[in-house]
Amino acid sequence: MACSSGSCESGCYKDKNGEEDQQLEKKKAVNGVVKIGNDLNRTNLCIKCKSNQTIATTIPTTAGDASRFCSDCFRTNLFGKFRFAVTSNAMISPEDNVLVAFSGDTSSRVALQFVHEMQCKAQKNFDASRDRSLPVFGVGVAVVDESAIYPVPSHQLDEAIEDMKLIVSNLAPPRKEFHVASIASIYSSDFGDGMDTLKELVNTVSDLTGKEDLMLHLRMLSLQKIALQNGYTKLVLGTCTSRIACHVIATTVKSFFGSDLWFVRVCSVGSSGSTYLSLNKRLLFVQPISRTVTGSSRVDPSAPPICSSYQFVRPIELLDLSEGSLEVSLSKEGTSDCLIFSAVSDLVSSSYSEHISASCRLRTVKVFDNPRSGINGLVSAFIKVLQEENPSRECTIVRTAGKLTPFHFNRIPEGDDLNAHFASQRRQKKFNLMPNESLPPESFCSICNSPLNKSDLSSLSDVENGQLSAETFGATCCLSCQFQMLPKEPSSVEYFYSLLPQPIIARAKGGNRCNQRWLREQIQDCLLSDSEDGT
Amino acid sequence: MQLTLEFGGGLELLCDSVKIHKVNVNPQDGEDKLNMKDLLAWVRTNLIKERPEMFMKGDSVRPGVLVLVNDCDWELSGQLDTTLEEKDVVVFISTLHGG
Amino acid sequence: MGGPGAGPECKIGPRPVAERNPPVAHGAARGGPGLKFVSLKICRECFYTVFEDEIHSVIVENQLFKPGERIAIGASGGKDSTVLAYVLSELNRRHNYGVDLFLLSVDEGITGYRDDSLETVKRNEVQYGLPLKVVSYKELYGWTMDEIVKIIGLKNNCTFCGVFRRQALDRGAALLKVDKLATGHNADDIAETVLLNILRGDIARLSRCTSITTGEDGPIPRCKPFKYTYEKEIVIYPFHWLPNLNQLFTYAYFKRLDYFSTECIYSPNAYRGFAREFIKDLERIRPRAILDIIKSGEDFRISTSTKMPEQGICERCGYISSQARLFRMPNCARKPASLKWCKACVLLEGLNRGLPKLGIGRSRGLNNDRKKDMKQSHGTENIGSKQCGTLDF
Repeated sequence: MACSSGSCESGCYKDKNGEEDQQLEKKKAVNGVVKIGNDLNRTNLCIKCKSNQTIATTIPTTAGDASRFCSDCFRTNLFGKFRFAVTSNAMISPEDNVLVAFSGDTSSRVALQFVHEMQCKAQKNFDASRDRSLPVFGVGVAVVDESAIYPVPSHQLDEAIEDMKLIVSNLAPPRKEFHVASIASIYSSDFGDGMDTLKELVNTVSDLTGKEDLMLHLRMLSLQKIALQNGYTKLVLGTCTSRIACHVIATTVKSFFGSDLWFVRVCSVGSSGSTYLSLNKRLLFVQPISRTVTGSSRVDPSAPPICSSYQFVRPIELLDLSEGSLEVSLSKEGTSDCLIFSAVSDLVSSSYSEHISASCRLRTVKVFDNPRSGINGLVSAFIKVLQEENPSRECTIVRTAGKLTPFHFNRIPEGDDLNAHFASQRRQKKFNLMPNESLPPESFCSICNSPLNKSDLSSLSDVENGQLSAETFGATCCLSCQFQMLPKEPSSVEYFYSLLPQPIIARAKGGNRCNQRWLREQIQDCLLSDSEDGT
Repeated sequence: MQLTLEFGGGLELLCDSVKIHKVNVNPQDGEDKLNMKDLLAWVRTNLIKERPEMFMKGDSVRPGVLVLVNDCDWELSGQLDTTLEEKDVVVFISTLHGG
Repeated sequence: MGGPGAGPECKIGPRPVAERNPPVAHGAARGGPGLKFVSLKICRECFYTVFEDEIHSVIVENQLFKPGERIAIGASGGKDSTVLAYVLSELNRRHNYGVDLFLLSVDEGITGYRDDSLETVKRNEVQYGLPLKVVSYKELYGWTMDEIVKIIGLKNNCTFCGVFRRQALDRGAALLKVDKLATGHNADDIAETVLLNILRGDIARLSRCTSITTGEDGPIPRCKPFKYTYEKEIVIYPFHWLPNLNQLFTYAYFKRLDYFSTECIYSPNAYRGFAREFIKDLERIRPRAILDIIKSGEDFRISTSTKMPEQGICERCGYISSQARLFRMPNCARKPASLKWCKACVLLEGLNRGLPKLGIGRSRGLNNDRKKDMKQSHGTENIGSKQCGTLDF
């Protein structure tokens, strides 16, 4: 019969199976195994290798893959998804030099491990190939030392850094460069001076949430600085679904009357299932820093080099960098949240992520254990409760955000990039269903680099002709940053401004300049349509 | 110290469905003033009969519970640090339910 | 902040009673640069004035009412709808809206819950002189919630209640021949709904839940004059004008508190509760966060390729659903597959045929993965966890 194949869904299939089951049960019964025990045993076996126990039975966890895979299969599965995301979205090309933001904690540790494994594979292929045409991408590891703000006993810090160094050096060749930079290094090469200025800057922010967010943006800047100074082209982050879900909710909560939503950018890329999943991952993992992958709309060729080097980073990259840098912050939440892959795969509970790094024998290091506070802390707690109630909640949140319309800079650039590898480009085509529309360039907040909306812009236009100063700086920030970070007193604003690191000032200046033309056009458009409509 | 405490919005269910309590609360030993923090602790021990988590969170009221001291939002008078005086009226209303 | 005495401190009143974090401006200066949320300490009298003026400006700016319109107020007997009824009748008189106001209540038939709160609504009818219309599930559908719960148990009863209430309000409004239905949803409710829609991935609802007027393409548009009003202020408001009113009302108010303190006895309330608590926690740290969430909801750019639910006329009852989607009757051999019914009819048919599970998403098994979950929430009206005590959007 045609129904003999297992795929038939009519009764015959069931009957056949039922027979088998019955026979099986008979056998078991003969052996004295009770039916219930049999069922139970079966559900606990890995669905892939069918020989090992699933992880869920060894550690308590909510649901997801843990209940279906054994730890080996889970790991393989996870790595497969990671690799798929990286390759299908051309996140890493052979010419790349990739910097992995590393906190020592689980998420970034796993990201590092997987990037490393991909590099090993590439190396193997390179060694095996005759013409050696495909170079192997380089990998480096960056750690941001935040002891300037979150004090840790110095021996503890040294120990942790040593540990991380060891982790990196213990990875099989090719060798990975290890960079440690103080978060204060965004100021200048003068280390001590930067430290004090940074402390002062953070202290001027009175809002707890604002303080935390500012740190996050500064952390981002340090990571970029490390990347740019050492010739990296991409930055890889271990941002997990929990983190993004938190970000989605936190942004919803913080978005000021009038400020656009960042997170519309996070996920947002596609509307069809497969697209946004993979695209999400692209956005989460790799942030191209190089000029080649950058949408050129924001780059002002006349800008001074230091300024443009920051501008090259597209906001989406910045955003995601900041996301992942949470890992770098070594915050408490970050340690226990689930893994990156959960954006695509089933969710991984906190105990689970620890388990993975343990089962993969990945050493992790915890240095700064700062619980998140303010609104960020509330959001984390909220997400945690929701996740416990329904293990798929985080995914749903991320997916919801994925259904929103992306900002244009969030779209994957079309293949006009000469350096992009051909094969990866082909793959990219396959998964990138979103056409690049010509949209107006958007303006971005000097501090958080989120897009400014029209009402912000109107104030920005006031700055247009004037020099950037303490008074006008506020106008280059989104309302949310203005509310959270800028001091309320005009005199304090001046002080705050004087403490800002160069990259932010540069952004404020540069951002203004390259947006002016568009602004003017906007205003022109408004005038035109008004007179035409007669309204 | 004579105080009038009123519970509304469902909170009265936590204290035997009695809405208005005329109580006598004295400052703790060694203190000459009674503040809201002390009062909350006292209420929790002496008036709340069940599910104290519906009323308190930490040492303050649960978010969503409105506190009025003499008809005035306690956020104006310093929340937990509000000093209470003889014959003060303190109202607790939960906004967490229904609509 | 448009009220009188809009300085940092109230200059009129003798003593501030409340601190306000007003939604700077709802229209004119909305989100303008440099506008900062100013916490205002205001006295009782100013509080009333500001509270009422703010609602008035929302009504005017959004053109919620036009002269000569008949407006039904969805009255549940709870604090929001009671205050709404009072404020609207006040403002209508003061500002000459020229609208006819009616109270519209739904009697779900839940003993010990709705019958009590209906008493409050009946008192409101007398106090404000607004005609009251009560529509009951029993009358409309032949079933009370008590009877439904007896059959289906406590698991999915909120689905019935929510779907039936939505339709009942529309039908009641049609009976009253009103042009619009005003509901008492406050800023906290809307912020909560925004969050919930994100949590359950309901893009269609997310895109419309922040609109101040919904269902304009349907039979009865609905509006939310309290869209920017903090729940906290709604609670404080009657508390303060209470003493000025007659004894009868004072009684009614305190009596009323009992009612909404009584949660719907059938309401399970899972993650809606979490969202609610989250919002209250947020409010404590940053009160304006509630309005920021609403703003976020308004700002969401919904992808045009996102599939929006189908709307139309139910082929069974002829009810034009304002927001409800139509369903193909599932698993029904006698009906042609193309027959499209509204959710209420599907549920009702299930009840009447003794298949109460009809139209309710299949219960979720342990290993149900998200994909199915998502599909389900797209395919069916998912109001499952909406609190019974509040009116659905």
